[in-house]
Amino acid sequence: MWWFLEQVTSAIMPEAPFDIRAAVNAISDVVQNRPRPLREFDQIYMKAGDMVLQSDLIAHWANGKKLAFIGDGDAISVCVTYLHARKIIPYGPTRVAVFDFDERICNAIARFADSERLGLLSTVHYNVLDALNSREEFDCFYTNPPWGASNEGESVKVFIQRGMEAVRYKGDGVVVIGDDPELEWTQRVLVKTQEFALQSGYYVQRLMPQLHVYHLDDAPELQSCNLMLRALPNNRPPGPSEDIRDPSRLENFYGRDAPPRVRYVREKLRLDYGKANENEYELELWAEDR
Amino acid sequence: MTEILHPGAGVLFMKVGTHADEPLDEIIKRKRREIQEAGYALWGYGGGTCHPLTAVQPFVRDFERRGSTVYLLMQPMVSRHLAVTERATQFSADGIVWQPIPKPINVIGSRYAFAINELKNEEFDLSLATTRVAAGISRGKPGDQYVKGRVDKACLEISDPVDPNAHDQAAVHIGFVARFVEPFAVIVK
Repeated sequence: MWWFLEQVTSAIMPEAPFDIRAAVNAISDVVQNRPRPLREFDQIYMKAGDMVLQSDLIAHWANGKKLAFIGDGDAISVCVTYLHARKIIPYGPTRVAVFDFDERICNAIARFADSERLGLLSTVHYNVLDALNSREEFDCFYTNPPWGASNEGESVKVFIQRGMEAVRYKGDGVVVIGDDPELEWTQRVLVKTQEFALQSGYYVQRLMPQLHVYHLDDAPELQSCNLMLRALPNNRPPGPSEDIRDPSRLENFYGRDAPPRVRYVREKLRLDYGKANENEYELELWAEDR
Repeated sequence: MTEILHPGAGVLFMKVGTHADEPLDEIIKRKRREIQEAGYALWGYGGGTCHPLTAVQPFVRDFERRGSTVYLLMQPMVSRHLAVTERATQFSADGIVWQPIPKPINVIGSRYAFAINELKNEEFDLSLATTRVAAGISRGKPGDQYVKGRVDKACLEISDPVDPNAHDQAAVHIGFVARFVEPFAVIVK
């Protein structure tokens, strides 16, 4: 696996050797800062080794560009920015914005950006079912959406649509979705996703198969791929961004019969942020006569 | 048994044993008492598989819509589960609206629970090789390849006819069977 990833990485980025220890330690800082995933919203975190290589790849791909993340529980946005800021990798985007409906994720990114002085990284508390009214125009987008096992990729399409809107249907995109030859649904979703991209004026520039694994109790071997999309020349938006409320697109959004009911996940503020939660432990003192 | 194990049938398979220091026979007695007193029992479970909202509820509902009953099949096993012994006080079928857990029902040391009744002793073998995962991101995977390691429960569909005379290495011995009742599975706290 590592050999394969190194081959892929070196094929794409021949000039990209970096200090692997420094990179892993930097990713470790980011992982330490992430809120715990909510599985009911398909928040499933990528494993750290894959995050290192993915961050390097995305930083190179988005070098010198303005990059929008449509959802980012993994915190690849932070990794990309942090690795570049610490000069562990010599390339990276000039601006990174994360659009996510989970306030815990937005706040964790904002806190990390503040403490590490990552001025080019910011967040927008945003639900993908609402129209995307960002005034800022981006050059490229990245999304690792709910993979659409029960909705034939409809949830993937919603996230990609917002990504395309963020780049005004002109910029490139990377979509991370399930890719397992033993699971039929991943192949069906890959087809549906590519069909959607073509209908939207995009084509598949590159597909990097079976690249990442995740912290998944029930499917530790399930992998995902990078689907890299490029807009056709002179591609135009089909219209203004609008709310998505069509029940047929939403009925199986988070799994069969599991439409989205939650607009935002709100963070319960704590005084002991970043430390062990006080309700996790109690102190037992030495006896007086010790 | 044949009523349960026919091609196209849905079953939720789960390994059961000592939980939170309580031996299995004591748990069974307690759950039957809960069914008698409350009309149903909540059988606690945890882990990342079989999420109540995104896996179990849609899985059972889908089979019920087709007029088929989904059974909970339990494989007794030796275990030394030493989880916390904290009793949950509330349950929710959607993660949003919470209700108090009725007094006769005790869910101990778990995050999720199946809603069941008719908890019976039934002895038969289930060939996991004749099943496929029927819910969640591993949907379509053969049951015997899915239930391994830390995965000890699964929403399955019987995909092939069962040959009771075949020697099957992927067979597991079922000791208890229960029926699901609405809302099939809940989150507890």
